[in-house]
Amino acid sequence: MAEGLSFEEGLNRLEKIVQTLEAGGLSLEEAISLFEEGMQLAKICNQRLDAAELKVSQLQTAFDKEIHNKGESPC
Amino acid sequence: MRIYSVDEVTGYLRELLESDSLLTDLWISGEVSNLSQSAAGHLYFTLKDEASQLRCVLFRGERLDLALENGAAVVAHGHISVYEVTGSLQFYVDLVQPEGVGILHLEFERLKAKLEEEGLFEVARKRGLPPFPQRIGVVTSPGSAVLHDITNIISRRYPLVELVLAPTPVQGDGAAEGIVEAIEALSETEGIDVVILARGGGSLEELQAFNEEKVARAIASSKAPVISGVGHDTDFTIADFVADLRAPTPSAAAELAVPHRSELESRIQSQQRALVAALGGEISQRGTELGHLTNRLRYLSPDIARYRQRIDELTKMASMRVASLLTIDREQLRSRELELGALSPIATLSRGYAQVQLSATGEVVSRVAQIHRGDAIDVRVSDGQFKGRVTTLKKGLQAWLKDFPSKKG
Repeated sequence: MAEGLSFEEGLNRLEKIVQTLEAGGLSLEEAISLFEEGMQLAKICNQRLDAAELKVSQLQTAFDKEIHNKGESPC
Repeated sequence: MRIYSVDEVTGYLRELLESDSLLTDLWISGEVSNLSQSAAGHLYFTLKDEASQLRCVLFRGERLDLALENGAAVVAHGHISVYEVTGSLQFYVDLVQPEGVGILHLEFERLKAKLEEEGLFEVARKRGLPPFPQRIGVVTSPGSAVLHDITNIISRRYPLVELVLAPTPVQGDGAAEGIVEAIEALSETEGIDVVILARGGGSLEELQAFNEEKVARAIASSKAPVISGVGHDTDFTIADFVADLRAPTPSAAAELAVPHRSELESRIQSQQRALVAALGGEISQRGTELGHLTNRLRYLSPDIARYRQRIDELTKMASMRVASLLTIDREQLRSRELELGALSPIATLSRGYAQVQLSATGEVVSRVAQIHRGDAIDVRVSDGQFKGRVTTLKKGLQAWLKDFPSKKG
């Protein structure tokens, strides 16, 4: 379930869970199940941050083609 | 060949002039003369130099950065056209600045005023940045220190993103066109959340591309919000004014584009604490509720255990009482039996004793003094009775013992 979420979705869901728990009015089973889900989300969010590596890609623009064709270095 | 009317010719001239790229947008320097103001508030004057002069009109409401007067050396911006009524060539002025200001600066001020009036700088136009971008477009020169800095900062702060570099020269010929193309290419790229437009510091000439109208318009029509990070803190470009967010430097632009990792970590941590506290509260509240309920239950329900114990005690007491009663009865019975046995005259009689009664009175005789010779007596022994008559009387225990031979035999 939580594995498929983006970092933002995970964090939002976590914060929503905390709000729901703090608002109260849940059965104990619901509260415990939300608590477990929240803890899992926090773990996953932290793991996402730890494991992430910046990806860099480059668009093909006319300028880009030009440099590659001429072999010139950019300014 | 045909013959044209005057109106056709002036109209043709006007169209010709107004479609010329130079004549529709140019700066002209000269000295003001023949200045006059019409009743409607428009200013008419001539710009001249040593060799030539040009009729000028500045309509009311156009921008005037100085008090116009005859003899003033000015630089005016506008377009050339024909005033058909008089058939004369005119310079339609929209901006007058004092002479001596550099052309780039003049152009900067003119464009800034124009775009501002169009509303391109308005706060209401500015778009908010996504709190958690996933793809960030970067418009800058490839391989530059600026790109390196941006990559480093984002990698350190929030490595969950993909940087999409749209390479372009950022100064010199073709820079403005390159920037426009890069921004447009990013708008056509899927999922770009925010665009960073960056260049290191430089002179007004070096930053010129960022002061061009086409770049300003490209920023305004970018699909994703644009953060400008051009030059140093003190450099302001037109791009900065149009951008959704202006960062003082390229590095600052990178910082503004993404959340900070340590903030996120502490945010997660505080959520974890809140989770623990909320569940703890929930559980302790349940505990308290359970306690209350248990107490109420205890209070409301019959105390079965107590009754059971009471029944136990009562049962025990009852059986003890019964047992003791039975014991008492048995003992009493035995002692009664003993008593009875002891008292039974039959037992005594069967040992050889006899009961004597005076026949006349039925009086039991236990002493000699009670009877007289000749009295009729009834004698009872263990298995019956017989009658007799007293013949001899001897008083005293010695006589009785002496005549008790059966005892010795």
